[in-house]
Amino acid sequence: MSTAATGISMAAGARAFLRSPLFAALALALVWELAVQAFRISPRYLPALSAVLRDAWSIWPQLLASFNRTLLETLLGFAAGAAFGCLCGITFSYVRLMERAVFPLFVVSQTVPVVAFGALIVIWFGNSLLAKVVTAFFLTFFPVTVNTLHGLASCDPQRIALMRSFGAKGPTMFFKLALPSALPQILVGLRLGIGLSLVGSIVGEWFGETLGLGVMLIEAMNSDQIVRIWVVIVACGLMGALLYSALTLIERKIIWWRAEA
Amino acid sequence: MNFKRINFKRFLPVAISLLVLIGLWQGAIAAFEIPPFVLPSLPAILKHAVSEFKPLSASLGATLLEAASGYVLGALCGLLLAMAMVLVTPLERGLMPLCVAINSVPIVAYTPLCLIWFGMGPASKIVLIALAVGFTILVNALHGLKLPEEAAVNLMRSFGASPVGIMRRLRLPAAMPSVVSGLRVAVPRSMIVAIVGEMLGAYKGLGRVIYESTQQVNLLNVWAAVLFASLASMLLYGLLVWVDRKLVWWR
Repeated sequence: MSTAATGISMAAGARAFLRSPLFAALALALVWELAVQAFRISPRYLPALSAVLRDAWSIWPQLLASFNRTLLETLLGFAAGAAFGCLCGITFSYVRLMERAVFPLFVVSQTVPVVAFGALIVIWFGNSLLAKVVTAFFLTFFPVTVNTLHGLASCDPQRIALMRSFGAKGPTMFFKLALPSALPQILVGLRLGIGLSLVGSIVGEWFGETLGLGVMLIEAMNSDQIVRIWVVIVACGLMGALLYSALTLIERKIIWWRAEA
Repeated sequence: MNFKRINFKRFLPVAISLLVLIGLWQGAIAAFEIPPFVLPSLPAILKHAVSEFKPLSASLGATLLEAASGYVLGALCGLLLAMAMVLVTPLERGLMPLCVAINSVPIVAYTPLCLIWFGMGPASKIVLIALAVGFTILVNALHGLKLPEEAAVNLMRSFGASPVGIMRRLRLPAAMPSVVSGLRVAVPRSMIVAIVGEMLGAYKGLGRVIYESTQQVNLLNVWAAVLFASLASMLLYGLLVWVDRKLVWWR
């Protein structure tokens, strides 16, 4: 009886593992390595994963330092952009005039290729951490603003009426009703923003920096090191996946009232 | 008459905040004596943009051509792939992890690779843009194509509709709003990717102009190029919103 039960739970565990992102990543790595070996793909197009890992190991300290630096820029820019975006979204949703007057400018500012400002930002803020944080910030705040605005606007009017009939005032309404019901939508914005923030810090590094994944990317390109480019691509992908899953984890912890998306 | 008044009401606040912005810009230059290499005055930028109109619009043309080709290519590939994934379910299970993995790397990280593979010409930018646009459309289309309820699909199937028929009559119309919103998001994105690609390596285009002018510390030219790029992508965005409003046949 008990062996059957453990058998079932093991089967369930194996099935859960087969569906997990970790398994997908492992399978992908295996397919990568085998495909390169089997089809003899030229390293110019796709070097074997083992070669990429070996190259990564050979520059490990620099890679780690660059990774941390870019992560720091991304997180700072993201935090600033998320805070500013939430604030703007809340302001726009409660002050209609502000939405009418400023929101169109926000939309327009997003059609501006921000990367073009990279050079200007370096002139303004110097070749510093701040310059990259500002680039990341500029890319992050817009999706957060839009989603906060949508989330707050989509609050069920019947619930508002109910709360009001019980005599709820402004702040209570906001913290007990509007904000909780907007949070899932805000998190959608945050998830969009974190990817863009990473783009911002990588591009920001192109305009003059000595440390970071963006710098390594440019250096590898200039010296025509394909394997090194792949090292950076994998590192960027890992960072993106890491940030994204961290955000998903936070979402699951704080939005318990909405179990599924 | 009524239409005019509504428009006026909507545009007045924007116009005022725009004026405030311009005022702040010019005021800051006058008050803090900001040197032109930090922040040039607006009239100077406009004057430069007018005098350099010909070379800048030629560069814009090159960039727009790349952006448009990549956009169309990417949108088609994304939509077709999404349809294939819905029609042949194993395809989705096999390809989706690969797509997610490719997509988790920021698109800018692929730029050097694309330049080495496809050269400095337009081809490398078109591939990059197609990649960026394709993913946006793939995700949106996949979401939209799966919107119809199982019951509706089963009903059509019980009347003898083929999977392709269900796709054409039920899934595609249901997916349109989602696809169009993806198309809209992809417009500024394709411009941005085109410019980023050109910055790292190209023979012409606005990105090249911006990069070279930065190296030569010709900041007026940078600002003028940014102005051109922004106006162009604003126009494109406006065009798409207009098309979207005209073509709401699926609602």
